[in-house]
Amino acid sequence: MIFLIEYNRGKGIIVTFRDFDDSQRREAEDSRLGIELDLNRKGRKGIDHEVVLLEAASRDALLRTHGRYFKDLDDLLKSASQQGDGAGVSREPEFGAEAGR
Amino acid sequence: MIKDAFSRTQIDRLGDRLKGGSHTESDLRLLDDYRRSFGEAYETVVRTLRQRGEVPTGRLAKSTVSIAEKLRRESIRLSQMQDIAGCRIVVGNVVEQEQLVASLKADFPGASLIDRRDHPSHGYRAVHVIAEISGKPVEIQVRTSLQHMWANLSEKSSDVLDPTIKYGGGPDEWRNRLGKLSESVAAYEKFEKIHAVAVASNEVFEKATAEQLEHHLPEHEVEEIRGKLEDSRLRIEGLSKKLVALWNVNADLLTGAITWLDKLKGQKQ
Repeated sequence: MIFLIEYNRGKGIIVTFRDFDDSQRREAEDSRLGIELDLNRKGRKGIDHEVVLLEAASRDALLRTHGRYFKDLDDLLKSASQQGDGAGVSREPEFGAEAGR
Repeated sequence: MIKDAFSRTQIDRLGDRLKGGSHTESDLRLLDDYRRSFGEAYETVVRTLRQRGEVPTGRLAKSTVSIAEKLRRESIRLSQMQDIAGCRIVVGNVVEQEQLVASLKADFPGASLIDRRDHPSHGYRAVHVIAEISGKPVEIQVRTSLQHMWANLSEKSSDVLDPTIKYGGGPDEWRNRLGKLSESVAAYEKFEKIHAVAVASNEVFEKATAEQLEHHLPEHEVEEIRGKLEDSRLRIEGLSKKLVALWNVNADLLTGAITWLDKLKGQKQ
């Protein structure tokens, strides 16, 4: 799937989120450009939002690799502090027990 | 590098104009056409990755904001930019990262490698493989979960706290916390590799000794083998404990960062 994201960096929030089938790549590219042109016409400071096209197997896969768009700093810190599983030694049972402290 | 309708001069002049804050509609359209010219190269790379069972998230188009900022920040020209198109793969740990990077080098002969693990860029650690398809570069970011966690924190805090954090600026305390976390993740990952190698060789050793014990050996030899097995088990246990201790350093730093952020929010309210 193709995901179009317009992200307001200063506020750390998504302004526009649309998804497209893989077959709609041209349409996704045109929509992305359309948003940038619109921002450029309206914005006093030009384009101040990140407008990106990302392609992922699913929304979950997108969240895993580009969580920054979807989570606030608090959430990222909290999920990071519980990241024993991703730390490479989740195979060790005693690690999982202690890492969550 | 550019082998299509665009001349290098045309693209570099566009880059020069993009460095300034305001953009004309025709420049935005030209940049968009330039981005789309990476489509085929991008497709080739992503298809190759999927065929080998990877699950990349592709970035079809780097945003204009990011391109303009990079041009302002670095001495690079637009025609030299290697991450107009790219993708990201997050793997579980540093051992998987090394295996994947080795495979990518075989899949994309001539690819260049930027290894930021031992020489981080303002704390950012990852491996970037730049594949080149028909003269078009496509960047493959390979991050471990922990490197990715750190990058997310750095990028998000650059978004909402101070845009210079990502490049070594921002509030001293936050910068120091991120710096320490990057170092502590690096220390953890170095040890993680030692641990993984030890566990793998222990498995081989256990298997071999189990086979030996199936034969009728004299008692003293059996005792000796059992002693070696116990030594090996104790060694792995020690390494695992050290790995946990190293992770706990990361966890403590993250807890400290959460507390700092809460305090900052309290001050703003």
